[in-house]
Amino acid sequence: MLSIKNLQVSVDEKPILKGLNLEVKAGEIHAIMGPNGSGKSTLAHVLSGREGYRVDAGSAHYKGLDLLEMAPEIRAREGMFLAFQYPIEIPGVNNTSFLKKALNEVRKHRGEEELDAIDFLSLIKKQMNLVEMKEDLLKRPVNQGFSGGEKKRNEILQMAVLNPTLAILDETDSGLDIDALRIVAGGVNKLRTPENAFVIITHYQRLLDYIVPDFVHVLSDGQIIKSGTKELAYELEERGYDWLLEDSEKV
Amino acid sequence: MAQLTNNFSDWLNQRVDTESSFAFSEAVRSPSLSKLAGGIFPTRKDEEWRYTPLGPVLDSSPGKDSASELDIDFISNLKQAVPTGHTIIFINGDYSEKYSDDPLSLDDTGLSITHLTQLKGPALKMAEDIIVHSNLTDDNIFQHISLGLSQAGLFIHVEKNAASKTPIHIIHISTAHSATSFTNPVNVVRLENNSHLKIVEQYASPGDSAVITVPANYIQLEDGAGLEYYRIGIENAETQHVCNTSVKVGASASFTSHQYLLGSNLTRSNLEVSFSGPGAEAVLRGVYLGDDNQHLDVRTYLDHAHPHCSSDQHFRGILNGHSRGVFNGLVLVREHAQKTDAQQSNKNLLLSRDARVDAKPQLEIFADDVKCAHGATVGELDSDALFYLQSRGIDKKDARLMLTRAFAAEVTQEIGIESLQTYVKGKIATSLDEIVSPRV
Ligand SMILES: Nc1ncnc2c1ncn2[C@@H]1O[C@H](COP(=O)(O)OP(=O)(O)OP(=O)(O)O)[C@@H](O)[C@H]1O
Ligand SMILES: [Mg+2]
Repeated sequence: MLSIKNLQVSVDEKPILKGLNLEVKAGEIHAIMGPNGSGKSTLAHVLSGREGYRVDAGSAHYKGLDLLEMAPEIRAREGMFLAFQYPIEIPGVNNTSFLKKALNEVRKHRGEEELDAIDFLSLIKKQMNLVEMKEDLLKRPVNQGFSGGEKKRNEILQMAVLNPTLAILDETDSGLDIDALRIVAGGVNKLRTPENAFVIITHYQRLLDYIVPDFVHVLSDGQIIKSGTKELAYELEERGYDWLLEDSEKV
Repeated sequence: MAQLTNNFSDWLNQRVDTESSFAFSEAVRSPSLSKLAGGIFPTRKDEEWRYTPLGPVLDSSPGKDSASELDIDFISNLKQAVPTGHTIIFINGDYSEKYSDDPLSLDDTGLSITHLTQLKGPALKMAEDIIVHSNLTDDNIFQHISLGLSQAGLFIHVEKNAASKTPIHIIHISTAHSATSFTNPVNVVRLENNSHLKIVEQYASPGDSAVITVPANYIQLEDGAGLEYYRIGIENAETQHVCNTSVKVGASASFTSHQYLLGSNLTRSNLEVSFSGPGAEAVLRGVYLGDDNQHLDVRTYLDHAHPHCSSDQHFRGILNGHSRGVFNGLVLVREHAQKTDAQQSNKNLLLSRDARVDAKPQLEIFADDVKCAHGATVGELDSDALFYLQSRGIDKKDARLMLTRAFAAEVTQEIGIESLQTYVKGKIATSLDEIVSPRV
């Protein structure tokens, strides 16, 4: 589904990703861990098409399409979704009408009929229960004045409504209390099918107790320096990253 | 600085002799007429007119031809803004009995509306007293046009403790075949103690009629009174509009003003508010939306002459094409005006490289125990917000449109009449649909 080969990306002449390889197949959950500043969010942004990054080498293909050539909205309509590490506030744009617009753009692209206000509301009510979000948050401008946890739930709500094929969650668990964490994880587990895939960026093995990954990767200084199963996450929790960094330097 | 001869001034002075049935008494008119005879119009060397060229006004000499037939849909569209209001329509400055609501249908205890030309005796004196004691200075030549030559306008009077339930909806339509049409309506508004009223004023010019509009408004709010006052300009690109509004806000009274400058070639809107007692409040809001070569100039002057008053100003500009916006806001806090709370914010969004704005918020504070803040920003759309919307499947053009509408909605959402809010948002959305394009 997602195939990244030797991806090298720089920002303002500064190399951030330095030859990254990653293969994600349908039905899989991949966790990416790694120290602060190692390039995890950069990877997520490049994959979703944010401006300001220069691709120096390598490639990224999604469902066989050359991802790096696609406009961000086309990637989204093709089923990619990024849950932002820091969801921004958009004053004046109503959360409900924003989500309805987004869903209908995606549906149009898939050749499905657009939903009218009534059908949309019944859909969104269902998904709100899934993430246990308060209804009044829908009436407010996107993320404006939302607490940290509410912003993260709003990301998951958007994911549930748009029902993506490939979802990248950038530290969605950071800043969540234990109940919220369970709800977010529950959302992911309910959306999980053999046809879709998740890339979950996290600092905490804790999340992976709820969402069990098939693979765990360690991203350090712009490269994946180790990949393993969920056992690797336990090891990282216990030993930190230093031993890995030393190992990779020896190699 | 003087600009002594110009077509417009000559034309005005001829009018003194050729026209009749002027609104005001000789006592009010004659000082204004001698000012007009002097023919002194400001130039860009005057600090107050630095950014705004008066050429389009001064070069023209309006004529008189029969008004072109008005499309009934055009009028009903304007009425839609406040369907629950009491509508009073002026066409080229003349009261239109045909299109206005029947005055007898207005059944609102304590509220009276009189045509200025029909004012007599004590009522005329009452209206003229408000004018004579206004904030507008003697060197404001445009108010002299209104006082010396006005033939149209209303005196709106609410008696004490009366709370009017019907918004007054005044629509000025200017239209002409070939000649430039000219109007200078005057509204005088008096709200006695603890009375309340909403006024909506709309200015429109259909097609490509050339229009000059020079309105003046004199508003007096007595202790504890409350006025919501909306002005909406949706004139065509051949319209020049120079407006002056003076507001006196009494003790514990409240003045809320919204201005939407959504059309015209040139608009200059000057709003001068002064507090005439403690504990009063003024809320000033506005959006100016320019495209092509439009020039939109908003000026506010807020005189905190008494303690414990608050003022809150929030103006936003959206400028596209070669348009130019000006925001010039002066807040004066006098020495004894302790416990003043004065906030002023001006934000501008430039949608094209050639659009431009001059933002000049000014605070002059002579009291020491006050809370004052002001700020102005000029910027483009937030690229993070754009990306957020795009990352959810919304294309760049739509994302720009949503964010630009949202920028204006931060002000329009405060419109206190639901139908009017929908109407103004709709007008803004329609204009933005045309001008917002994807930019690479
Ligand atoms: N726009 C930018 N301009 C300059 N430097 C940038 C920019 N974006 C990212 N960087 C740098 O790239 C590096 C990687 O940043 P990134 O946000 O991808 O890290 P991360 O792995 O997500 O870290 P964290 O765990 O703290 O979220 C950092 O050193 C960061 O400062
Ligand atoms: Mg990050």
